[in-house]
Amino acid sequence: MSIPTLQGLQTALSGLIAEQTALDTTGSNIANANTEGYSRETVNLQPNPPLDILALSTLTGQGAQLGTGVGVSTITRIRNSYLDSQYRTQNSALSSASTQAEVLAQAQAAFNEPTEASIAGQLSKFWSAWNSLASSPTSEAAKVGVVAAGEQLARTFNELSSQLSTIATQAGEQVKALTGAGGEVENIASQIAQLNGQIKLSEQAGETPNSMLDSRDLLLDKLSSLANITVSEQEDHTDTVSFGDTGTPLVEGTTVNWPQELTEAAGGQLGALLSLTGPQGALTSLQTGLDGVAEALAETVNAPLAKPFFTGASAATLTVAVKASEVQASSTEAVGGNSVAQAIAGLRGGVAEQDYATLVEQLGSFVQDAQDEQSNLQTTVTAINDQRQSVSGVSLDEEMTNLISFQRGYQASARTLTVMSELLETLIEHTGAAGL
Amino acid sequence: MSIQRITPAMVKSSILDELSSSLNSLERTSDELSSGKTILEPSDNPYGASRVIDLQSQLSGLSSYESNAQDAIGWENTASSAMSSINTAVQRVRELILQAANGTSNQSDLETIAQQVEQLTESIKQDANTQYAGQYIFAGTDTTTPPYEEGANDEYQGNAETISRAVGPAASVTISTNISALLGNGEASGDGKLLDTLRTLANNLRGGTAEDREALTAVDLKSLEGNIETLTQLQATSGSAIDQLQAALSRNEDLQTSISESLSSVDDTNVAAATIAYSNEQAAYNAALRAGATIVQESLLNFLEK
Repeated sequence: MSIPTLQGLQTALSGLIAEQTALDTTGSNIANANTEGYSRETVNLQPNPPLDILALSTLTGQGAQLGTGVGVSTITRIRNSYLDSQYRTQNSALSSASTQAEVLAQAQAAFNEPTEASIAGQLSKFWSAWNSLASSPTSEAAKVGVVAAGEQLARTFNELSSQLSTIATQAGEQVKALTGAGGEVENIASQIAQLNGQIKLSEQAGETPNSMLDSRDLLLDKLSSLANITVSEQEDHTDTVSFGDTGTPLVEGTTVNWPQELTEAAGGQLGALLSLTGPQGALTSLQTGLDGVAEALAETVNAPLAKPFFTGASAATLTVAVKASEVQASSTEAVGGNSVAQAIAGLRGGVAEQDYATLVEQLGSFVQDAQDEQSNLQTTVTAINDQRQSVSGVSLDEEMTNLISFQRGYQASARTLTVMSELLETLIEHTGAAGL
Repeated sequence: MSIQRITPAMVKSSILDELSSSLNSLERTSDELSSGKTILEPSDNPYGASRVIDLQSQLSGLSSYESNAQDAIGWENTASSAMSSINTAVQRVRELILQAANGTSNQSDLETIAQQVEQLTESIKQDANTQYAGQYIFAGTDTTTPPYEEGANDEYQGNAETISRAVGPAASVTISTNISALLGNGEASGDGKLLDTLRTLANNLRGGTAEDREALTAVDLKSLEGNIETLTQLQATSGSAIDQLQAALSRNEDLQTSISESLSSVDDTNVAAATIAYSNEQAAYNAALRAGATIVQESLLNFLEK
């Protein structure tokens, strides 16, 4: 079998097409250099099936194969799914720690330590007011001072308690907003399910839907900050996604199974919010601790008094129950006695204050632990993300080099075409006028 | 896994991370320097924060005890000068008794002396009604009632309760003086206390009989001397209270110094160290900025010919 006359043109053309495809892909990589979630793409080239030159038609008498150019086999994205799964695991943990740190920092700000306006500062003023009363038991001003300091202290307890409740309520509302109908979980899940369907169809048609795969991976990254996720790719290229600690996978093929019940063990932002407000959670324990301080305060202050100074046995309900004229400085009828005022002033540094100092230490540890964990995990996540970027990110230097190399390839193929065309011209124009 | 490819996005994010972390530590150090405190929030040092609460409470307690002690010293000084004034009056009465008893005085002289004794009695009762900051200091806890009324009624109007001031944790000093132990309830009660003695003395001076004259030295002078003994004891008690208060004040001052030092070591910024840290961090931030500005601009594009 002889070589078809126009084969050379076809070969040169295949080169042009391949180099152009590579150039286009490079262009697309450069254009997406800063696109979130984009994986760089590469054109996989493959030689075209060769042309068999039959035996006995060559000098040696053996057959040969003539190359017929190049074809584009696939355009694939460069991505490491192991790093993706690493990233998502650590990202869930990071998101959980950040959420804890953020919410607890709000609680810390509410406590307002160490300032004069804090409970510690107000307690100190309260004891000093009783001490002034002990020095001048008959002074109306001192009694007014005691009641004013007591009211200010009670108000500080009330406000702090209500701020802590508000923080807990907001955390609960955030969970509802994220998990409710039309919330972020459902929204992301339905997008993933939709992409699953499209990817499946596309793969069945023999295509590689790179941009849809990128979009799905980006959505999975986002989902991983809400709760722990595990992703398993099925044979039909759909992803089955388990979310948090729910029994049924969130996404199976094109089906979204939501809403489902999440618990504190869900991980991620949702797990953190649920555990902060849960019965063993940090917010709950701060609120309980504060109630304990208020109760101890009321109990110790009221003990030496005939008529209770404070009513209410929790931080939210602590109230001063007496008027200035009812304040007792002494246990006897005599106006100048100060035994009671002295006993109460002597409560400084007592159980209420010690409990409060312990509570502040506990609060500080909560915030510090969450912040430390956040900063450790941030380092890990950054490292994994760097590895991912190292694999999938677009390097402009590399793309520029490729650009030059593909441009040269294109130019060379074009030159080949010129040469082939000149050969044909020789054949057609310069071999006489036979047939005309 | 070692990183082989570096992309501009990685460089950008790592430079941003570096910049924000440098700026963070710079801001932190600047906060510490400007506030003078290392514990700005409990999470900076949880145990330290609870120590600060404890130490500040102790300090504020000490300043309460300090003002209590100063107030108590003022009270005791007032009591002490009132008792000195009583003492002066009593000594004068003693001289008057000796003068009356020397035998040369006639009845009209004795009447004059009796009048002087009555005036002195009145002045002693006034001294007993001394006030400090609006409170009658010799009335027990009944501090709004004068312990003795003007005129003939010599009955003690106060009570026997004591008043104390807290001058330290579990340390208090009694500042009230039981003046009724000295002055008593007057002639009607026959208790032999100072007012009884003085009233009896005046009666004896006016009585004019030989027994009356006899009684001046035999009875009145003796019981007056007994009363002086009591007064001296009361003055000594008051003096020792002042000593206790002074001692408490000086102990308080020492404690304040040492607790302030503890507080400072927990909570105060080490300015020298922080200043050095600040300039190091500033240098690091500048370096990160410069490196960022240089590296981000570099690319193969800069070197490709058109």
